[in-house]
Amino acid sequence: MSLIPGLGIVRGMALTLRRFFQPKVTHLYPEVPAEISPKFRGRLQLLYDEHGTLKCETCFQCAQACPIECIDMGGVDTKGRFAVHWGASETYGERREESALRRAGRTVPDVAYEHWSPIDLSAVDAILHEADHDPRRLLEILGATQAAYGYLPVAALKRISFGTGAWYAMVYGTATYYHHLRFEPPARLAGADEPVAPTVESGRERVEADYLAALDQAIGPGSKRPAGRVN
Amino acid sequence: MTDLLKTPASWPRPLLGRASADDPTDLDAAVKAGAFAGLKKAVRTLAPAAVVAEIRAAGLRGRGGAGFLTADKWQAAASTLAGRRYVVANGYGADPAARTDPVLLERDPYAVIEGVAIAAWAIGADSAIIAVRATEAGAIRRLEAALGAAEEAGFIGANMLDSGRELTIDVRPVQGAYMLGEETVLLKALEGKRGQPEQRPPYPSERGLFGRPTVVQNVQTLALAAWILREGSAAFGAIGSPAAPGTILVHVRGARRAGIAEVPLGTPLRAILELVGAGGRSGLAFKAVLIGGPSGGILPAALLDTPYSFADLRDAGAHIGSGSIVATAAEADVLELAELLTRFCASEACGKTIPCRIGTRRIEEIASRINAGTPRPTDADLLTDLSADIVASGLCDHERLATLPMASVMRYFRPELDAKLQPAAEQAAGRQRVAVVDGEPAH
Ligand SMILES: Cc1cc2nc3c(=O)[nH]c(=O)nc-3n(C[C@H](O)[C@H](O)[C@H](O)COP(=O)(O)O)c2cc1C
Ligand code: SF4
Ligand code: FES
Repeated sequence: MSLIPGLGIVRGMALTLRRFFQPKVTHLYPEVPAEISPKFRGRLQLLYDEHGTLKCETCFQCAQACPIECIDMGGVDTKGRFAVHWGASETYGERREESALRRAGRTVPDVAYEHWSPIDLSAVDAILHEADHDPRRLLEILGATQAAYGYLPVAALKRISFGTGAWYAMVYGTATYYHHLRFEPPARLAGADEPVAPTVESGRERVEADYLAALDQAIGPGSKRPAGRVN
Repeated sequence: MTDLLKTPASWPRPLLGRASADDPTDLDAAVKAGAFAGLKKAVRTLAPAAVVAEIRAAGLRGRGGAGFLTADKWQAAASTLAGRRYVVANGYGADPAARTDPVLLERDPYAVIEGVAIAAWAIGADSAIIAVRATEAGAIRRLEAALGAAEEAGFIGANMLDSGRELTIDVRPVQGAYMLGEETVLLKALEGKRGQPEQRPPYPSERGLFGRPTVVQNVQTLALAAWILREGSAAFGAIGSPAAPGTILVHVRGARRAGIAEVPLGTPLRAILELVGAGGRSGLAFKAVLIGGPSGGILPAALLDTPYSFADLRDAGAHIGSGSIVATAAEADVLELAELLTRFCASEACGKTIPCRIGTRRIEEIASRINAGTPRPTDADLLTDLSADIVASGLCDHERLATLPMASVMRYFRPELDAKLQPAAEQAAGRQRVAVVDGEPAH
């Protein structure tokens, strides 16, 4: 309440009057281009190639580089299989069609996200405490978490990201990279109907076995061609 | 356990000299046979810079594949300002067909430990890591036992040889893809991160583990460094070829025998292949030799006089790589072999860059359609262009080297390649109609 009656109104009108004569902010876009902060990167969108296939290879480079972590990836593999998060060719992380589905707001048959269910995180917390919440001990933390739960639940990965300060793309990328880490409970691997998810080592072992078989075949006299990559 | 091949008595054995010990972890026996004499000499009589000078005089080059001058790495690490420095021994042994590094660790763990300690002394590192493939349980067990004994005896630990300097050495089992053997990838794994290579420079010797100067060295390189300090650089320089003296471990496979041998660098391929009974007067005939591992070059039998050395192999279109040498049967289909090798390399590529994740896959596709009898008329040119692009734009050496198997087929087995390209050539000439199977837009 002002001491002089009506002063508030006068002040308010003065502001209005001042604004009235100030230059307007409406831009005559596109005649006059808008002034854009040099840091502005535009809207995030994944591009398609001439075959209509997404160009994104889901390599995580953008997610890892993004300073505010607005890009996130998760999911399955590059060759039309799902429920696979490891293996040599799976190091790209996610099957791109599925990444597109997610971005389009549709449901995605993605185990990593299906597994996003609340779990008892006290074991993760104990592991984090034990490892000093040190992001440099990420592999050790992931290994201990897998030992505790039998696999790496997404909720646990999120907690590890939060607890160590390592961004989620880094935690997820690391977990997908190493062949001994898995995202499904072993029971699911054994009882899965279709498609059958390979066991933890099989992706890697198959690649190595194919290579050694190729050498054996080259050395040995005229054996038949070993089976190529199983798709 | 992988066999050690018998080599001619005139070939010196700096690496496997103690390999026949009953118990390789018996420290007293090893010391009697010369272990830690080099370290004692370094710590008691030589300044760190003098150690680097001795390694330089010996002309030691890295045994991890590329043959980089070891002294250059040590000097760079020692002269980069930093609060801490690290030594990392690369015993990962990425190539499943070459067990040379694990076998060295199993047969003579003290040689590697001594080499690590010498490198740490030379660059001023107080902690070091020996990285071993997690599946090599035997090597890890022996290394751990040996480290315990060496620490108890005061060779390493809180007060290394009473010098007042500390050195802790850890064994770290690591597992991952083929790529994990590449030095920047290995460092990522040791930091607990996803294994993908980094741009070099800066080299690890300037910015390595946790951003600190780090000497990453193959375990054989380190074992040789220990030998050099014990026996002197002149003795080392007298072994092998003058440009790259010393010996190296190879894993040779032939139809009759396979195994690991220590060979002087510069030995002609012919002599190495005779170790497994391939070629020579009494040996089995063979068609080609795959040298360097999955990303190796396939050389024809006509090149058997090529010396096994970094520079000569590079000129011939192969590389020392993992130390793997494979003699193929006389009737082997080199083009199929090249396809399978390329497939391995493409599957093991890390996916970080476009030449890596797409380029290698495209080469694999070209190779596979040539072998399947459905080549396209442009395939030969495409292969040449694509390989050149990958070599020019690759981030790490893996994708560059992955072009070698197919490139060597183009270079040395052109008639066979042309025969398989024939349907496409005829079609291009309009003489014959051949259904070219158009693959789906490949992923
Ligand atoms: C794809 C790839 C795999 C490699 N694998 C190994 C390996 O298994 N062991 C190794 O010592 N070096 C390996 N290297 C070489 C390392 O990057 C590095 O040059 C070496 O460890 C350095 O040691 P050096 O100077 O003693 O050779 C690899 C390189 C590449 C590009
Ligand atoms: S994940 Fe990789 S390919 Fe996909 S948008 Fe990001 S940087 Fe590009
Ligand atoms: S293997 Fe991926 S960048 Fe070299």
